[in-house]
Amino acid sequence: MNPSVVALVVALPLLAAFLLPLVPGSARRVVGPLVLLVLTGIGMRLWDVASVAPVVLAVGDFLPPLGIVFYVDSVAALFVLAVALLCLLFWPWAGEGEHLDRKQSLTLILAAACGGLAVSGDLFNVYVFYELAAVASYGLAAGGRGAAGQVATFRYVILGSLGSLLALFGITLVYFMTGTVNLAHLAELAPKALVGVPGLAAFLLILLGLGVKAELFLVNAWAPEVYATAETRVSALLAGLVSKLALLVLVRLLVLVFPLPGTHEALLVLGLLGMLTGELAAYKARDVRRMLAWSSIGQLGAAFMAFSVPGDAGLVAGIAIALHHMLVKPALFLLAGRWGGSLGRIAGAARRSPLGAVLFVLFALSLLGVPPLPGFWAKYLLLSGLAGQPGGLWWLGGLVVLLTTVVEAVYLFRVIGALYSRDEGSVAADQSATAVAGSGMLAAVLLVIALSAPVLAGTLDRMAVQMGDVDGYVTRVLTPPAPAVPIGVAP
Amino acid sequence: MSQSSLSILLLGALGLVGIGVGGLVLSRNLYRLVLALAVAETGGNLLLVLAGFRPGAAAPIIEPGRAVAAMVDPVPQAMVLTSIVIGVGVQAFALGLAIRARAAYGSLDMDELRGRMEADIDAEAGAPPAASQHAPAIARLAGQPEAKP
Repeated sequence: MNPSVVALVVALPLLAAFLLPLVPGSARRVVGPLVLLVLTGIGMRLWDVASVAPVVLAVGDFLPPLGIVFYVDSVAALFVLAVALLCLLFWPWAGEGEHLDRKQSLTLILAAACGGLAVSGDLFNVYVFYELAAVASYGLAAGGRGAAGQVATFRYVILGSLGSLLALFGITLVYFMTGTVNLAHLAELAPKALVGVPGLAAFLLILLGLGVKAELFLVNAWAPEVYATAETRVSALLAGLVSKLALLVLVRLLVLVFPLPGTHEALLVLGLLGMLTGELAAYKARDVRRMLAWSSIGQLGAAFMAFSVPGDAGLVAGIAIALHHMLVKPALFLLAGRWGGSLGRIAGAARRSPLGAVLFVLFALSLLGVPPLPGFWAKYLLLSGLAGQPGGLWWLGGLVVLLTTVVEAVYLFRVIGALYSRDEGSVAADQSATAVAGSGMLAAVLLVIALSAPVLAGTLDRMAVQMGDVDGYVTRVLTPPAPAVPIGVAP
Repeated sequence: MSQSSLSILLLGALGLVGIGVGGLVLSRNLYRLVLALAVAETGGNLLLVLAGFRPGAAAPIIEPGRAVAAMVDPVPQAMVLTSIVIGVGVQAFALGLAIRARAAYGSLDMDELRGRMEADIDAEAGAPPAASQHAPAIARLAGQPEAKP
């Protein structure tokens, strides 16, 4: 495969986003979905190729460490695929005129930025794509319900900009200490140049900065407000997709650039606090939408805890939790479109929309980690990873996971109880057909994963090994490619 | 530029960031929040430029017929350009949101806006309004029972 295809992951949706308003008439409405379908195809092709060996593209043939590098391993390829599919699933179909154009353009920009975050091979590009994703999500969030949405978005913008500033600080510090922003080059230099307190400070700055989008503890105050006021489509994209991409970037940095003592512990503590506060706040939340928002903070805390476990065990558990949450939370937000209110509003809803209620139960059970469902394996991997560490803080982490699972069970069963309650004067809304169809598709994927768990375990292991392979990353990026094959000669 | 003036610049940049972050934490007015953000970002950008500074070096422009002398590092300058552009765009967007929020709620005070926003979210979700921490205990207890819709 020609590695230039990787550039399309970013270029195609970005180009389409800005050219969209110029496309005449009814053709305009098919541009976005078409681009995302092509992106899906590219993602599948990349997955095929990258599961054998990662693909490296030096953009414009400017060789690294000076040029821009895109690096696609199997994790990145899977995320590219997920970006395309989730954006397609949450594509803004309904709306009118200019307003719809803007929503579609912003969704395409979000897709481009997320794809860029997945494949980016240097720190400054990470910053640019992160900002692009941030601006697109500000725009999408501001399109939410009335004035409350504007205020929530304002608070999100301020916190997000502060995060960007911190991240830029961290990147400046890294550049100051090493003189490079290329991840492979950094991986080479880091063991000598990025050490001690300044190294740790740089990591913490970047962690807190990018952590805004990944709903990290301390910088996640925006999430419940924005998810409660934005369109459910947008909440699903932000909680399901954007947070995972920020997480992926942080983990890449942790593996490649910051294998310092102290970084894993910092991640563990912040993840632990995130999980504890998120799940407890979800327990206290009085409406389904904010409950889901807080629970997503809790789940991302779990993912941070998983990635804090050193070695491949941590990567396996973290990827599993992140992918599981990427599947389950968007589906739940989709169902919360009609059933997002207080428990009184959804009492007896199961009688009106039995299928919707069954889907909600299925996803809730998987989120909780009931055995045959994938959520169980994700939590099992997390717990065994934490238990495999030498005591202390890590075992405390395991304890917190078990405790918060109980809390999760309480608040999820409270909702399920309300859905199935025999409320005669029920005021619950019917579930919308699109939400049932969308979450039904995600449920099918969930069940397929549950049935093929033994096969997928091997795939997951291979993904983690590829992601943890620092030497391979450095060699692949920094070794100059073989001389170009003359045209007409088969390679 | 001498070493001492460099450290003055460095301290100045850090000071700007400190002022900005302090403003973000302490201000309640939306316009001041945006201003504080602008100040903090300026400090950050200055710091980034200083990271690439070399004492006594020339601007990084290669011209034909001129000997390549010691240059300051152009990479941070390219980065700063990006970061300035992003910063301006985001600040303009935040100001736009502030105008919208004021038009809707008639206030630029963050605490008040936040309270109104929470009340709106609660009302839309059909949940009883959250008891304010500042309300008397009686009112808080009275607000407790589950509201049947």
